Amino acid sequence: MKLLIKGGRIINPALNMDIAGDILITDGCIAEIGQKIDGAGAEIFDATGYIVAPGLVDMHVHLREPGLEAKEDIYSGTRAAAAGGFTTIACMPNTKPVVDSSIAVSGIIQRAQNEGVVRVRAIGALSKGQEGKELAEIGDMVAAGAVALSDDGHYVSSARLFQAGLLYANMFDKVVISHAEEESLVEDGHMHEGAISAMLGMRSRPAVAEDIAVMRDVMLAEYTGARLHIAHVSSANAVEFIRQAKKRGVKVTAEATPHHLTLTDEAVIGFDTATKVNPPLRSADHVQALIQGLNDGTIDAIATDHAPHAAEEKDMEYIYAPSGFAGLETSVGVILTSLYHTGQCTLPQILEKMTIGPARILGGEAGVLQPGAAADITLIDPDREWVVDETTFYTKGKKTPFSGQKLKGKAVAVFVAGELIMKNGEVLK
Amino acid sequence: MAKDSTGQDILELRSMPVETMESILATAKEMKNIVLRDIKKLPTLRGRSIINLFFEPSTRTRTSFELAGKYLGADVVNITTSASSVVKGESLRDTLLTVEAMGVDVIVMRHSAEGAAHFAAKAVQPIIVNAGDGAHEHPTQGLLDMFTIREKKGTIAGQKIVIIGDITHSRVARSDIWGLKKLGADVHLCGPATLMPRDIGELGVTVHARVEEALEGADVVNVLRIQKERQQKGLFPSAREYARIFGVNDARLKLAKPDVLILHPGPMNRGLEIAFDVAYSEQSVIQEQVTNGVAVRMSILFQALMGGKKIEAVD
Repeated sequence: MKLLIKGGRIINPALNMDIAGDILITDGCIAEIGQKIDGAGAEIFDATGYIVAPGLVDMHVHLREPGLEAKEDIYSGTRAAAAGGFTTIACMPNTKPVVDSSIAVSGIIQRAQNEGVVRVRAIGALSKGQEGKELAEIGDMVAAGAVALSDDGHYVSSARLFQAGLLYANMFDKVVISHAEEESLVEDGHMHEGAISAMLGMRSRPAVAEDIAVMRDVMLAEYTGARLHIAHVSSANAVEFIRQAKKRGVKVTAEATPHHLTLTDEAVIGFDTATKVNPPLRSADHVQALIQGLNDGTIDAIATDHAPHAAEEKDMEYIYAPSGFAGLETSVGVILTSLYHTGQCTLPQILEKMTIGPARILGGEAGVLQPGAAADITLIDPDREWVVDETTFYTKGKKTPFSGQKLKGKAVAVFVAGELIMKNGEVLK
Repeated sequence: MAKDSTGQDILELRSMPVETMESILATAKEMKNIVLRDIKKLPTLRGRSIINLFFEPSTRTRTSFELAGKYLGADVVNITTSASSVVKGESLRDTLLTVEAMGVDVIVMRHSAEGAAHFAAKAVQPIIVNAGDGAHEHPTQGLLDMFTIREKKGTIAGQKIVIIGDITHSRVARSDIWGLKKLGADVHLCGPATLMPRDIGELGVTVHARVEEALEGADVVNVLRIQKERQQKGLFPSAREYARIFGVNDARLKLAKPDVLILHPGPMNRGLEIAFDVAYSEQSVIQEQVTNGVAVRMSILFQALMGGKKIEAVD
């Protein structure tokens, strides 16, 4: 079976490619990329006016399964991913029970094959039960398919255990993902510490808590020589520590989320629980530092930290509501609106952070358009204007701080292994 | 849900228009006359119902609201629970919906969570009056402080007003800051660095580490209550040391203007944040604040329910 994606602007950051052209797909794989391909006998998909990009990769998603299916499950989460333009997502292990064994990793992968519409890669816990006391069976999980290890949702407060985790994971060439926040400084905090928290009287989470945690983890990565990835970086100093560490040759990578790149703590005024997230939305100087980090290569990936919660959990007083919100279905629109259409980043820069950037960190094949590779492709209309209406979301946890906002830029089609699974926001499977 | 066209929520002083504050303060003057006369009952809010929904214990504010409502002829019911709605197992929204279904016009709410009053205002139709939400705001206390200062000093504009104590956890301080600044006061804060929000200066106030410096030339001093539980959390070493370094006493007050006014939202820890002599001095208006509290809350209930109407017009 042949398919020709015709007449789009092909942006393929992994190969520095930015051309007007066609992509020919044969039997689920890319057969040819070129400026004018003779697609005789092929079904034609007209991509005129669209960006044709490698399938987007989100390395930080909470699918909530097993155990927390009321918030999200693999069925709904992968459809939300497809609707947002993603073809590969990696799911975090802070479920109930925690994904800290090979059987749990296998379970996720199996369920994703049965229920999912995009590729799902499992991240295993670094410590048993994510309790930060004993290493989880990392080798077994890697054998079962885990692509990275993380106690996401929790900082590993024991430096000794974290060091052991880095060393052990490194034996399997797997990256350790750190949720970097010194917990004694953020205990009971609900928002960023700053003028707005002073005004609202809300207990807060200072940026220095992240700075300290990132610095420790970077130092341990340098000491062990292991691979470290800092999840959802949100503070200016953390960006700087990572920048300096990279210059020294430390094997550290980092991600930033669409919300930390675009929103400030001023969004919390009014106490909408859709703005509650961890790490918290910070002030404008931090946002600018993140964008700078994105532009100079300090930040390697844009990841959503898609963290859905059931409606009733968010429908309460701000301080009692859980942190996190849906991110998969707004990511492209938010990033293009705030970073591309404002001239702060180019499309190739953004797409690099949403394709090959995260794909390299996780390892394996994704994020690049080249002959022989699986035809995972995302089409984006960079000028499509739309208004965020969470009632149309595929995710179960519909809260978003972008509700009602007019965005410019949208994923309009997604192919996984050459199969069209999303068109104009509608998931076809 | 849209509110009734004449009613308005009273949630915070930060966003309250100056005209509304002025209107409340002006009407409170009339209300005070009523509080001080023998027969206090007015028919103004007859047929209206008010629920005092208190999720935190409070005698002073709850009683003040209760009397305010009753003096204006409203039916007032108190619901007090020391546990938060979450601990009780019922969501705040459900509690509010239950109360709404009973046909109340005003919900006066005290809650430990910052923003709880905002949540309530969006959740239900009855008018919400914030009687304190966590460390966010206590607008009725702020207005009664403003009323008291203006009554005694004639004006708020240009006055050096010093708030001393645990600013971090004080909803009174926040309402005072917004209200007083809007009416032109020069607001100063003082307290231990561990009880002072790091960026509070960005709200347009002057922050002092030393109480002597703060009191220099002060027109008004508002002494905040220190909760001893903060000591257990390591935010200050001992009550003795707090009293020695930050306690407002006679000697320190000599640094202020001779006619300095002493306020305290109560209840006081005498000998801790405020010396006995100061609390009961001629400069202290702490008892009058209580009387003014009833008058201001009458005015607020009137404002909330009757919109911009004048009290004379109703009577």
